Amino acid sequence: MSSSEGNSARPTRPRIRPRAFVIGGVLAAFTVGAAIEVNFDLSFFWEVWSNPLWDMFWPVPWDWVFDGDNVIRPLIETFQIAIVSTVIGCGLALPISFAMSSLTTPNRATYLVSRAVMNLVRAVPDLFWAKLLITAIGIGAMAGSWALSVFSLAIMVKLFSETVDNADPRPLEAARAAGGRHAPIVRTGVLPSVFPEYVAYSLYVFELNIRASLVLGLVGAGGIGRVIESQRKFLRFDRILGMLIIIFVVVWIIERISVSLRKRLV
Amino acid sequence: MSTATAEQTETRPTRPTGTRTRRWVIAVVITAASIWSVTGIDITLDRLLSAPGDAWAIFKQMFPPAFANVYERGAVGKVLESVYIAWIGTIIGAALSLPLAFMAANNVAPRWVREPIRQLFNAIRAVPELILAGILIPVTGLGAWAGTLAIGIHSVGTLGKWATESIESVDTGPIEAVEACGGQWVSGMRWAVAPQVMPTITSYWLFRFEINVRASAVLGMIGAGGVGSELVSHLVFRNFPEAFAVLLMTVVMVITIDTVSGAVRRRIIRGSTSSTGGASRSTEAVMDVTGLRRHAKP
Repeated sequence: MSSSEGNSARPTRPRIRPRAFVIGGVLAAFTVGAAIEVNFDLSFFWEVWSNPLWDMFWPVPWDWVFDGDNVIRPLIETFQIAIVSTVIGCGLALPISFAMSSLTTPNRATYLVSRAVMNLVRAVPDLFWAKLLITAIGIGAMAGSWALSVFSLAIMVKLFSETVDNADPRPLEAARAAGGRHAPIVRTGVLPSVFPEYVAYSLYVFELNIRASLVLGLVGAGGIGRVIESQRKFLRFDRILGMLIIIFVVVWIIERISVSLRKRLV
Repeated sequence: MSTATAEQTETRPTRPTGTRTRRWVIAVVITAASIWSVTGIDITLDRLLSAPGDAWAIFKQMFPPAFANVYERGAVGKVLESVYIAWIGTIIGAALSLPLAFMAANNVAPRWVREPIRQLFNAIRAVPELILAGILIPVTGLGAWAGTLAIGIHSVGTLGKWATESIESVDTGPIEAVEACGGQWVSGMRWAVAPQVMPTITSYWLFRFEINVRASAVLGMIGAGGVGSELVSHLVFRNFPEAFAVLLMTVVMVITIDTVSGAVRRRIIRGSTSSTGGASRSTEAVMDVTGLRRHAKP
């Protein structure tokens, strides 16, 4: 009572639990160890400005950049890879997501197997897929589009199956009570309510694929990355800067369109 | 009774006509884009048909995974090096992006400060880590430091953008309170904004760490340190059992870190007000960072 009257009732600072010190100490030790392992060297941040390498970025050879076959054609190939893999990945993701959601899975075995397989697929980084597929089916854009298809499938099922998990179960129960078979139940009971999100996620995956397909060529899987890699080997950083500017502008435009479409959908 | 059913069938809603034509237009556009793309990249029918067989032939040669051989070559150290690169890279990205994010938010920074910083974030996000590492390798030399810097610099773009967005959504009451007490701008940020946004921003850092673990594994493929170099060298020499062992070790590492980091993120965010009903945390994180945030269901 008396404490609430005066200004002296300043709240006490919560005590730091001893566990916090232990966790903090472990994290600090791990950070220091990791920094040593990666040869952490802050001098990079100021010494780098005196590096003669930066002169090689300028001037940008615009006539080379805009000369059709050098940049534009590989860039178009990059987008083609992204389109194909988005269509394949997101198309396959639709049935697999329904199998992976506890709400709509046909049976327990399908549920467990599809979850386990998809978690494994998602844990393999995208360029590892590209490298594996290049080894298997040869260098080129086809290996790249296979790799991105697999990877966008893995991301898409993760996002979309969680949306299906949270869908309203009542239409599903109504359809089941009316005696429908499994596939029509899911199609009429769940799909309409989650379809806008499916499209929105597909557009998001398309943006991811555009970004991912830019670097596929670095490991030999087609697209603009192949040109970047070859120019990097010749240390033609001026050309790389020109390419990066083109990529930046085009990707920015695509992203704007995709984001505005998604805003309208959700 | 029969009249009631007759009425019901009559009052069945008619299908809206506009959506039908629009649906067809969209289907045609997607089909045309797919066909154009398939013809653009060198997919031919015979290659398409032989691809699964080729892939299966390689896959068969991968069994059993040769863990002993890769262990002798120090693959465990390489896997850990990828984790170190991702960790230090995330810390660099977090340290650089946090002050910049406060200067880029439209509710706490003036326009002439925030616009250049926002464009900086956009520019950084546009350059993939791999290309950044390719540019940095001539400066720093081959090795883990090039990869760490590439990840650190690239992370500034995304982390800065996410942190800016969460700063922009804070309650402005506490900022006004600090101003009313005569506090400086820095005090306002420290005592009014930071307490509101730090849990979210910390969970973004962890989310980025999960992404960076995959990125650092990939960076090794061009010689920027980590497990990627092991995979590439085994695949180039067609040592498939060894490559498979490296792949499995990477997968185990990625899944372990995803699980631990995801649990910590849930623990940090739990009790925060930004809940969308039953949506899981990873869905929510994606909604937050991509602007897909869905309104709560009625």
